[in-house]
Amino acid sequence: MIDLKDITVRFGDFTALHGINVHVNEGEFFTFLGPSGCGKTTTLRTITGFINPSGGVVSMQGKDITHVPIEKRNIGIVFQSYALFPTMTVRDNIAFGLKIRKMPKDVIQQKVDTIAKKVDLSEEQLAKAVSQLSGGQQQRVAIARALVTEPAIICMDEPLSNLDAKLRVNLRNELKKMQREFGITTIYVTHDQEEALTLSDRIAVFNKGYIEQIGTPNEVYNHSQTEFVANFIGDINKLQSDIVSAMNLAEDKVHYIRLERIGVRAAGRGDSVPAGNAATFTGTIESQEYYGLYIKYTIRAAGQTLKVVEKNDGINIYEPGDPVILRIDPADIMSY
Amino acid sequence: MQAQSIGKQKYGIGKLWTIFGGILFVYLFLGFMVFPCLDTLTSIFSTKDAAGNADPFAVIRFFFAGNMPTFVLNSLKLAVLLVITVNVVGISIVLLTEYFDIRGAKILRLGYMTTLIYSGVALVTGYQFLYDKDGILTNWLLQYFPNIDRQWFSGFSAVMFTMTFACTSNHALFLRNAIRGIDYNTVEAARNLGAKPFKVLMKVVMPTLLPTLFSLTVMTFITGLCAMSAPTLLGYNSINPEIVRLAGSTTADEAFPQARAALLSIILAMFTILLLSVLNHYERKGHYLSVSKTKAKLVKQKIQNPVANVLAHIYAYVLFIIYMTPVVMIIVFSFQNWQAIRSKTLDFSSWTLINYFGSQDYSYTTSRGKTKIRPDAISGVFANEKTIGGIRLSFVLSAIAAALACVIVVVAVNYIFKHKNKKRGKVVEACLLFPWLLPTILICYSFRIFFNNEVWYVFGNNLYYGENVRFLIIMAYTVVKLPFAVRMIKAAFYAIDEELEDAARNLGASALVTFLRVKLPIVLPSVLAVFALNFNALFTEYDMSATFHSSHGTSYAMVIQSMCNEEGRDGMNMNASGRRCASTVFIMVISGLILYLVYGVGARDLGERLAIRERRRKRFKAVCGKLGLSRAAAEETDKAEAHIE
Repeated sequence: MIDLKDITVRFGDFTALHGINVHVNEGEFFTFLGPSGCGKTTTLRTITGFINPSGGVVSMQGKDITHVPIEKRNIGIVFQSYALFPTMTVRDNIAFGLKIRKMPKDVIQQKVDTIAKKVDLSEEQLAKAVSQLSGGQQQRVAIARALVTEPAIICMDEPLSNLDAKLRVNLRNELKKMQREFGITTIYVTHDQEEALTLSDRIAVFNKGYIEQIGTPNEVYNHSQTEFVANFIGDINKLQSDIVSAMNLAEDKVHYIRLERIGVRAAGRGDSVPAGNAATFTGTIESQEYYGLYIKYTIRAAGQTLKVVEKNDGINIYEPGDPVILRIDPADIMSY
Repeated sequence: MQAQSIGKQKYGIGKLWTIFGGILFVYLFLGFMVFPCLDTLTSIFSTKDAAGNADPFAVIRFFFAGNMPTFVLNSLKLAVLLVITVNVVGISIVLLTEYFDIRGAKILRLGYMTTLIYSGVALVTGYQFLYDKDGILTNWLLQYFPNIDRQWFSGFSAVMFTMTFACTSNHALFLRNAIRGIDYNTVEAARNLGAKPFKVLMKVVMPTLLPTLFSLTVMTFITGLCAMSAPTLLGYNSINPEIVRLAGSTTADEAFPQARAALLSIILAMFTILLLSVLNHYERKGHYLSVSKTKAKLVKQKIQNPVANVLAHIYAYVLFIIYMTPVVMIIVFSFQNWQAIRSKTLDFSSWTLINYFGSQDYSYTTSRGKTKIRPDAISGVFANEKTIGGIRLSFVLSAIAAALACVIVVVAVNYIFKHKNKKRGKVVEACLLFPWLLPTILICYSFRIFFNNEVWYVFGNNLYYGENVRFLIIMAYTVVKLPFAVRMIKAAFYAIDEELEDAARNLGASALVTFLRVKLPIVLPSVLAVFALNFNALFTEYDMSATFHSSHGTSYAMVIQSMCNEEGRDGMNMNASGRRCASTVFIMVISGLILYLVYGVGARDLGERLAIRERRRKRFKAVCGKLGLSRAAAEETDKAEAHIE
């Protein structure tokens, strides 16, 4: 569907993208994930045509579109700020692209009504100014405006970043539902790993103008290919020398383990923690953060501090100072 | 290869327009800014002695030997003192209406803002009407204090008094916005930390207003330095009136008047450049910006001390009376006959519309006390061709110039934003701000002298000749108003989210369509506001009118001055007074209407407009329901109304 081959983007002496390669499949929800300034938005703007790359080729459905003007690429965009025209009504905003294409009035009316229905905008809301809508409604207008021209793909540049946490979660679900319904290829830019993991079919993790890993959410989370990905996605423990030598791990590498992969039980109870290849360490609870669904502990063990997440079963809850036994399975360790 | 913004892609017609616009811009900049002003500068050093030999420093010697430094010192004295008085009054009126809880603040604000519609020469003559030797207040005071000098309202003190109140318009607009932008949480935080109200005002509120106050101070200083109408009409020897006098003089009357006028203009320019450099340096140091994520609206502060509270109220209403009295008197006396105006006493039996609609020739009193009729001199403002002609000319010239300045600046600022990180963008901006470095009088004087010849690049025309002078006035008005328009409209362009442009381009809109349908509607309220402020200022301006005064360039300011002169002759032409009052009222109505349309109606965003429409519709339906109109008829009318809107 979309292919980026050896894309390089330079701004003066600064190189924003270093020859990146990406392939996005038809109908896929593909996410560019990374910290600020890593090149994810630059990549998106290169695909949409706002930036002409210094090198490389952008192709869509097999055709080279590297130098095709923005308006002729047939790519819909949902902007971070939504970029809704404040001087137009909701209907005029959605119809803007169709009017530019000089479509007949009745066709415009019909297309706008159809898309509005699909994104759940009422007739009354269509007559309003965009400033009279809530954040969620504005997002739906932005999506409708991007979709009404029937683009081949749709690009979204952090469309949830301006919203409060609760609304963000709600709209995330709606966004996924809409994408499934429309079946449109979607490229999504975010710095929020949780958003990327919950929404995407595949994720490209960016760092300093390079792509560190492309994979499914499970692949990038559980099988992070680089130290950067392991650190950037989710919370993680870096294992120090005591544990490394106790477990006979290679000393010329760095070793990480996810919080939920460390087992914990009360010291001396001798209950359900299985043995096998796993190593055990005694430790003491330093602090406890209560999240309801789960509990996060900071534990002092084997000369270092480890963070551990335990499901809240309402019974095995440890307090600061409690002695505990930790269990680490070598299969859960990611080494770089 | 560098990454490029797609905006750089070359489009044939677009490129042609850019080239055409560029050539036009260079032509206007060189032809109507650089060449005339350079000519003025060089004229200083092109003087000749009695024998006809070149004597380039004659005027400089003359400056130090003659009385020219007096004009400079007088202007400086006026500017310095004006900074103090205008800031005291300006800060007071803003604090009294926006910060402190003063009863009747809304009415007070209206009174303090009258200078927005009642300014320039109209205001000065209005003050004269009250305070000069035959003024209402002077007459009233003389009844109780017969020893008072009848001529008390003249010279420096009169100019100071008038300009102090006339120059607070900018405070009323910009300082008011600044104080409204204060985060109330900072005031509450200071109170919570133990600061007393006065301490909060001085340590929390005032520092956030300082950047605005500094800009206003510089602008006030320049206004004082370049004062024209008040010194001319009230009699004070400052630079600008002297320049205009010298510009109209010939070598037969005095030594190299043109070069002296040019030198005074250049001195003014040097002061202006110095002050603007200081302002620019200060602005670059940055402002105090609110760092609050959630700003709280300012809550008015009650003055807790009862004595201070009473004094503040008295002070507020005294200021209100000073602001409102000339306005009210002008309005009231515009409906009085000439006898009442002459005696400056209200006569309720003398109410008349003759000053507005009278079409008969007016009567006047001879020195022997007989009443005679002066032919071809019509009493009513709307029937007197000379008066209405002046108003019409000022209206048309001001409207064209204000619109032209807005069009030039909108197009140029759009270009500046497209090339904001490039040299060409900065060059265009510098060119547009160039007139700010030069006092208005220098530009006008340069125009008058330079274009009073056949100039090749205006097709060999003499622009100071015949009706051409109107074009010259338009150009001068436009040039003078460019810098203000740039600053205001540029601020409006900053408010446009760059993603809007990207969105429009992505949806297929060309650069022109994006500009016309997306960007322009967003900045339009600000553009209209700039248009209104510029129009109102030009409508009653005096400096340029006086410089370009000719039989084809008699603007409203000149008409008003001529009416004042006629009134000055004792016993003669009293109807000119009434007509002057009526014309001032008419001007105030037009200016007020324009401000209302721009700030009241034009500033509403689409949401507000739709909400108002919805309210009207509901009200209309309710009325229809009460009147028993059928539902179908109401809906039909409703549709028709929506269609019209």
